[in-house]
Amino acid sequence: MNEIPATAATTSAIRLKDVQLSLGSGAARVHILKGFSFDVAQGTSLGLIGPSGSGKSTLLMVIGGLERADSGLVEIAGQSFDALSEDQLATFRGANIGIVFQSFHLISNMTALENVAVPLELAGVKDAFARARAELESVGLGNRADHYPTELSGGEQQRVAIARALAPRPKILIADEPTGNLDAETGKDISDLMFRIQKERGMTLVLVTHDGGLANACERVVAIRSGEIFEDRSAGEAVLQSA
Amino acid sequence: MSDTPANHSSATPFGLSVRFALRELRGGLSGFYIFLACLALGVTAIAGVGSVSRSLSEGISQGGSTILGGDISFELVHREATQEERAFIDTLGKVSQINTTRAMARRDDGSDQTLVELKAVDGLYPLAGTLTTTSGEELSGLLGKQSDPDNRWGALVAPELLARLNLSVGDDVQIGNLLVQITDTITSEPDRLSTGFGFGPRLMISEQALLESGIIQPGSLMDWVYRVQLPVGQNSDGDLERIEELAEEQFPLAGWDIDTRNNASPGLRRNIERFAQFLTLVGLTALIVGGVGVANAVRAYLDTKQKVIATFKSVGASGGFVFRVYLTQIMVLAVIGIAIGLLAGAAIPFFAGGFLRNILPVDSAVGVYPQELALAVLYGILTTLVFALWPLGKVQEISPTALFRDGGASSSGLPRLPYLIAFLVAVIALAASAILLSYDPFIASVFVGACAAAFVLLRLVATGIMAIARRLPRAQSTPWRLAVGNLHRKGALTPSVVLSLGLGLALLVSLTLIDANLRRQLSSTIADQAPSFFFVDIQNNDLDRFKSALVEAAPDGDVQSVPMLRGRMISLAGVPVSEIEAPPGSAWALNGDRGITYSATLPDNSSLVEGEWWPEDYQGKPLVSYDAELAKEFGLELGDEVSVNVLGREIKAEIGNLREVEWESLAINFVLVFSPNTFAGAPHTHLATLTYPDGSTADEEFAVLKAMTNTFPAVTSVRVKDALDQANEVIGQLALAVRLAAGIALVASILVLGGALAAGQRHRVYDAVVLKTLGATRHKLVQAFGLEYMLLGIVTAVFGMIAGSAAAWFVLEKIMGADFTFLPSVAASSLITALVLTVGFGLAGTWRLLGQKAAPVLREL
Repeated sequence: MNEIPATAATTSAIRLKDVQLSLGSGAARVHILKGFSFDVAQGTSLGLIGPSGSGKSTLLMVIGGLERADSGLVEIAGQSFDALSEDQLATFRGANIGIVFQSFHLISNMTALENVAVPLELAGVKDAFARARAELESVGLGNRADHYPTELSGGEQQRVAIARALAPRPKILIADEPTGNLDAETGKDISDLMFRIQKERGMTLVLVTHDGGLANACERVVAIRSGEIFEDRSAGEAVLQSA
Repeated sequence: MSDTPANHSSATPFGLSVRFALRELRGGLSGFYIFLACLALGVTAIAGVGSVSRSLSEGISQGGSTILGGDISFELVHREATQEERAFIDTLGKVSQINTTRAMARRDDGSDQTLVELKAVDGLYPLAGTLTTTSGEELSGLLGKQSDPDNRWGALVAPELLARLNLSVGDDVQIGNLLVQITDTITSEPDRLSTGFGFGPRLMISEQALLESGIIQPGSLMDWVYRVQLPVGQNSDGDLERIEELAEEQFPLAGWDIDTRNNASPGLRRNIERFAQFLTLVGLTALIVGGVGVANAVRAYLDTKQKVIATFKSVGASGGFVFRVYLTQIMVLAVIGIAIGLLAGAAIPFFAGGFLRNILPVDSAVGVYPQELALAVLYGILTTLVFALWPLGKVQEISPTALFRDGGASSSGLPRLPYLIAFLVAVIALAASAILLSYDPFIASVFVGACAAAFVLLRLVATGIMAIARRLPRAQSTPWRLAVGNLHRKGALTPSVVLSLGLGLALLVSLTLIDANLRRQLSSTIADQAPSFFFVDIQNNDLDRFKSALVEAAPDGDVQSVPMLRGRMISLAGVPVSEIEAPPGSAWALNGDRGITYSATLPDNSSLVEGEWWPEDYQGKPLVSYDAELAKEFGLELGDEVSVNVLGREIKAEIGNLREVEWESLAINFVLVFSPNTFAGAPHTHLATLTYPDGSTADEEFAVLKAMTNTFPAVTSVRVKDALDQANEVIGQLALAVRLAAGIALVASILVLGGALAAGQRHRVYDAVVLKTLGATRHKLVQAFGLEYMLLGIVTAVFGMIAGSAAAWFVLEKIMGADFTFLPSVAASSLITALVLTVGFGLAGTWRLLGQKAAPVLREL
C-alpha cells in the first residue's frame, strides 16, 4: 500500500510557492513556470486563462501532481507533493483530485459505468459500481450506463468523464478546456453541471480555458503569461485583454 | 453490461488487474494476429517434434517384446554361445535362436547379385509378434524343404529383392553355396528393428539352410541372437533385471549384448531423442524469431494504449498496477497463441504416422503426450516474457501528462530496474531451459550463445545502418533521399526488418550449408579417394586366391587387405567403459562391437603422432596403436592398458603409440590396431578394398561385383557408391525434417517482417500522400520505397550469409569434425530470398496505398 505521509492542515486547498519548472533538454529546454506562487481557498472556483504556450496547462498538471516542479512548494489539500513517491502521488490523486480533459479520455473498451467505476475500484471501494451508477445519475446519464463511449455523443462523453472525476468525491476538480471540444450549447450544459456540483459538494474547481465567458463564471480568474501571473482578479471584474 | 455486483470491488490488486485486463481485451484480437501466429508456429514446431519423437519412443517401448522378439535377448558377434552359456540361457524359458549377417544373393544364372540382410530362424521364431507373408501360409512350410524336384530350402524375401534381381516367387536364388527357392514375400516382420535393416533387402531362411550355405566360417561377421520368452509369473521387470545381473556375474567375459523388452532398441531410441532435441532447437529458433514479432506487436499495442494508460494513471493507478494489467493481457493472448500451437503440435503425430512408417520400421504409439506439450508451453511462455517484458516495462514511463500534450512516453532507454531484472530472469530461464532440457547441453549452449550473438550483432547491424544512413551526404535524387531518410528516421523499419529477416535467413543459410557440405563431402570423397568396394568375410585360406581373382577382375584397381576381427572395449586405463563419460562425439567408439585389426606396419592413411611403431617381428607384450583424437577425448596416454573382449576372450594390450587417422578417406581404418602377436592363432577373416586410382565406370564395377560374387559366393561385397547412396538418402530424409523445421522459422520470420512492414504503413501513407500533393508520381514513390526495401534486404542478406556461414562452419568443423566449404549458390539464393521478401512484401503493401486519393487520407490523418 502506498501510505501517504501526513502534513499539517491548512485552509488553502491549493498552495503553490515559488514553483519553477522547465521542460525539454539541451537547446530545446524551455523555462515554463518561473517562480509561480498562489493560494486557492477550499470550495472556490478558479479560471486559468492565457495565450497558448503561456504555461496554464502545465500549471494544471503541477496542481494535479501529473508534473513535478523543479523547485518550490506544491501543497494540495494540505499535502506537500515533495514527500510523495510516484505511486503515492497516484494514490493521493485518485482520492483527492478529479481531472476532466478536453478530449474526455474515456477508455473505449469499458462501458460508461465501468469508466466511472475505475477510480473507485483502484481505491478499493467496496460498492464501486453502485457509487458509479449514482454518479452517472447525478450527471443525468443513469440510462446510458451500459453504453460504450463510441455510442455516446460528445456531450455525453464529457458528462461521463465528469462523473468519473467526481466519483471518488475529490476535494479538488481540475479541468483542462472542458468545453473545448463541444458546441456552444453543449459546452454551456457541461459548465453549468460542473459549477452546480462544485457548489453542492464544496469542491475547489480549477479550470483552464480560452473561453472568457467560462472563465468569468469562476469566482476568481488568473491570467498567465510566459509562466508568470499576469493578472489575478475576482469574479465580476473586467475581462482581461490578454485572455 | 449490466450492473456489476458490489463485491467485485473487494477483489485483490491481482484480481483487479485481471478484471481491467479482460475489459481491455474486449477490443478483440486486432493487431495481435502476427503475435498469435508467431507464438502458435513456434509452439507447433516444438510440440510437434516432441510429440512425434515421444510417440516413436513409446512405440518402441510398447512393442518392446515384439521388437526384441522375446522378453530378453543375448547377442553374440562372431561366435555362437558356448555349451555353458547356452545351458544358462535354456534354463530361463523358451529359447529361439536366430542368426543375422550381410551376404550376397545371386540369381542362379549368375547374371546379377545384390547385398542382402540375411536372417536365419529356428522353428520357434517368432517368439513374440507375427511374421506375415503375402500368402499367409505357415512359416515352417515356407522355410522348409520344398516339394519341387530339386528339394530346395524355402526362403522368404522382401519385395525389393525381387525387383532388384528381377525374380519372382518360385524362382531360385543363390546364398553362399546354397540355392534356395523363394517361396513368398514378407509383408511384416515383427523384430525387423532389432535385427538390422537398411543395407539391403531381407532374405530369410531356416537355420538348417544357413548351415548348408557355408556362410558360417570362423571369424565371419555373423550375429548369434538367443531370444528368451520367460515363463508366466517369472517375467516381471524385476526378473529381467535379476537375469541380466546373473548373466553378467556368471559370464563376465561372454561379451554378449543383453537387451530386454524395456529397452528393445536403445540405439534407435537414442538417435530419435537426439534428433528430436536438435529439431527442438530449430523449433525454438522459430519461436525466438517469432519473439521479435511478439515484441513488435506488444510495442505497437502499447503505443495505441498510451492515452488509456495515462488515463489510468490520472485516476490513481500506480505504474505497477498498469504493468500488471498489460502483462495480464499479453499473457492471456499468449495463452491463446500457445493453445493454438499445442493443438496443432499435438495433432502432428496423428498425421505423421504414415510418413514415418516409410522411414522407420516402428509403429508409433500415437497419442497426446502432456510432458512434451508442457515443454512447448514452457518455451512459449518464456519466449513471450522475454520479448514482452522489455516494452511492457516501459509503461512505467508513460505519464498522465500525455493527456495534455503529445508524446508523454519515452520509447528510448532502458526500462526501470525491477523490469530489467524480470527481463533478465526470463532470458536466463529460457536459456537455462534450452540447455538443461537438451540431450546435448554443449550443442544447446552453442545454440544459446549463437542466438544471443545473432541478436546483439543484428541490433548492431541495424544501428550501424541507421548511423551510416544519417551521415550520408544529401542525395540529389528525391527517391534516394527519401529511401535513405526512411532508413534512419525515428520509428524506422530498419531494426525490426534486420532482426526478423536476419535471424530467419541466418538459420536457413546455416542449415542449407551444413546439408550441402555433407552431401558434397560424400560425393566428392567418392570421386577423389574412396575405394569402390569393400569385401567382407574373406577366409584366411581364401585370401591369396581372392586377391588374385580381384586383380584379374580389376587390372586397373588397387587392392588392399587387412585382417579383421570384432571386439568390444572392456576397459581403458583400468576404468570400465561403462564408467567412462565419453563426450557425445566420441561415445560411438565405446558402444558395441567394433572392427579391430593387427598390423606389422603403420597402416596407410595414418600418421604417427606419439610413440614408435613396433618392429615387424615384434614378439613382446601385446601392444596397441590408438586413434590419437579419441585417446585425447578419453584421457589415454602411452603405456595405458586397453582391454578388449574378442571372441569371448579378454585381450589386454598396452598403448604403444598414438596415430592420426584420416577417417574421411573411407579407406580401411580402425580405432585399434594391435601388434600381430596379440592374435596369433585366433580365427579371423580379412577385409579387402578395391580402389580405382583413375576412377571407374558403373559397368566396370558391376562386372567386378558379378565376377567376385560368382567366384566367392560367401564373401560379402559392398559397393561403396550404393552404400553412400543410402547414406545420402538417410541424410535427405533427415534434411527434409530439418528443412521443415527451418521452414517454420522462415515463415515466422516472414510473418514478423510482414507485421513490421504493416506497422510502418501508416507513416508511409502519410509520406506518400504529402509527396503526391507536392507532385510526386507513383513511379517516383515506388522507386523510393523500393530502394529502401532493397537496401534493407541486401544488408540483411549479407548479414544472414555471414552469420549463417559462421554457424555452419562451427557445426561442421567443431562439432561434426567435417570440412566446411563456402558455397556461393547458397549465398546467392539467400540474397535473392531476402530481396524478394523485403522488396516484394514491402511494395505489395505499399502499391495499393499509392493509388489512394490524397484528400480522404489527409482528412483522416
